[in-house]
Amino acid sequence: MHVNYWDELKGDRMGRAGLYMTGALAVVALGASWLAPHDPWAYVAPPLSPPSWSHPLGTNEVGQDILSELIYGTRTTLLVAVSSALFSSLLSLLLGLAAGLFRGKVERVVLRLVDVMLVVPVLLVALLTAAYLRPGIPGLVVLFSLLFWPPGARIVWSQVLSLKQQGHLTAARHFGAGTWYLVRRHLVPELYPLLAVNFIQVVRRAVFMEAGLAFLGIFDPSIKTWGLMLHYARDFVFTGAWKWWLLPPAAAVSFTIISFALLGYALESALDPRLRRHVHAGN
Amino acid sequence: MNKRLLDYLLALLIILTLNFMLPRLMPGEPITAIYGDALVEMTPEMKSHLLERYGLDRPLGEQFAVYMGNLFQGDLGYSYYFRAPVAQVISGALPWTLLLAGTSLLFSTFLGIVWGVEAGWRRGRKFDRASLVTAMLLNGVPGFVLGILLLLFLGFYLQWFPLSGGASPYLGQEGIARAADILRHLFLPALTLTLVQLPRNFLLMRSSLLGVKERPYVMTARGKGLRERVVRYRHAVRGALPPVVTRVGMSAGLLFTGVFFVEVVFAYPGLGHLFYLALQHHDYPTVHGCLLLITVCVLLFNFAADLFSIKLDPRLRENARQLLGRT
Repeated sequence: MHVNYWDELKGDRMGRAGLYMTGALAVVALGASWLAPHDPWAYVAPPLSPPSWSHPLGTNEVGQDILSELIYGTRTTLLVAVSSALFSSLLSLLLGLAAGLFRGKVERVVLRLVDVMLVVPVLLVALLTAAYLRPGIPGLVVLFSLLFWPPGARIVWSQVLSLKQQGHLTAARHFGAGTWYLVRRHLVPELYPLLAVNFIQVVRRAVFMEAGLAFLGIFDPSIKTWGLMLHYARDFVFTGAWKWWLLPPAAAVSFTIISFALLGYALESALDPRLRRHVHAGN
Repeated sequence: MNKRLLDYLLALLIILTLNFMLPRLMPGEPITAIYGDALVEMTPEMKSHLLERYGLDRPLGEQFAVYMGNLFQGDLGYSYYFRAPVAQVISGALPWTLLLAGTSLLFSTFLGIVWGVEAGWRRGRKFDRASLVTAMLLNGVPGFVLGILLLLFLGFYLQWFPLSGGASPYLGQEGIARAADILRHLFLPALTLTLVQLPRNFLLMRSSLLGVKERPYVMTARGKGLRERVVRYRHAVRGALPPVVTRVGMSAGLLFTGVFFVEVVFAYPGLGHLFYLALQHHDYPTVHGCLLLITVCVLLFNFAADLFSIKLDPRLRENARQLLGRT
């Protein structure tokens, strides 16, 4: 059970690619204000200018620099996705632990909630809510966190149930360990890898959904995101501007989703001994 | 099974409550939040008629009762943008959505199964690895991005297909000519949706096949000297299919989500496009109606898949019984 996940990730070709790609995204997001050649909100050139030396991707319909928009979009995307994943994983952990530890009524309520939430079409709820509230970044994070916790909670719950049966936990209990001690020292550390996989999956879903909502124009228009860029660029598809205005954000969204998918896939294979590569070498 | 049914009913109730509560959470009177811009052109009589008919000036509890009562009578409100009852506007869009969703479901399932079997059978070899990478890359491209790209290249550049809509207007075509026209319009949106769902179905089928590939019954079939193709598709697939069918059925939410975006990209006249139009014009009764109908579609579809999977696999029936006994 005790595997060095970091080594597993680095040893896997997909995992390495995922690490480099997400690392690059993180650098762009953090350094956006240094990397961007212009202020993405400033009107720096005539609208719809084609690419030039000072504006490598041209300008949009109000004269803002598209490359700078793209760079700042990375920041928004990662901020929304990573915070949603963090909060929703926390919710999954708390509710899953509560259900697994206390059983009885708590368990019934949490599991029923999970079952119901799993059949609710998540995107539709997000669309409906966002259409009214037009959330900014914090609102979106709250919304996504509330929508994305159920699968993780169920995984945590079932893992807690099986961990509780294991020898070392029984031993610790018989040595007089309290519930809180067991949770802190034995349960949570063993749950980290599963939570990591869940975290990556939520990131991926959040990137997709944030881009989708913005693409439909259900987003605070003052925020720079790839989805909104696509939303506006779509009206100018037939002018030739799509080459520098539409393709870059489209590629950026795909790049982000793929990089997290690679990372998630590699993590999953590190976790699941049946998927681990060297086991299959002779197969 | 009653427990599952209850889940679905609760899910529906959540959506209905959300549909009901959101406009009423907004600042101002609910009628402003619901009818928005249209209020400006309304006469006081129309306004008071609406207030009375939908009980908008009464306490929240009573409003909810009126809302539910109206829903059960199929009254979804009146659309001031389309100048027609919402129920009527929506029922015109539903067939297009079902056509698009059905076509892509059919193709993506079939192609996903074949692709998954062919790749899984050659596990670890070149074709399998190339397939995995392709599926992963394809999986990373959101439907609306893929749709825009296909629209640009196949529709705009090569001009092989129409750019938008579900059929050519004003031609007055009949019979075969009209059917061909509809199919031509259907092609790009359906292709996009098929490609969006394909990687998922492929991965499901592949991993399910890997689970049965080494089973004794498959080896027996091989040992009998049956041809490879027969072993693969008559024996192995039969064992590997049930979980795939179930998972595909359970992913109705994803299917309809995909339909939503693809319709917006191609201005395909279904519910997603209608929703988009209504949203842009702040026609909230129509927005609600679209979302409600899609939700009902998704829930029905999931429920059917749930029932079907239990029928299909006796082991699940046993599981369901145990689960019921436990809780």
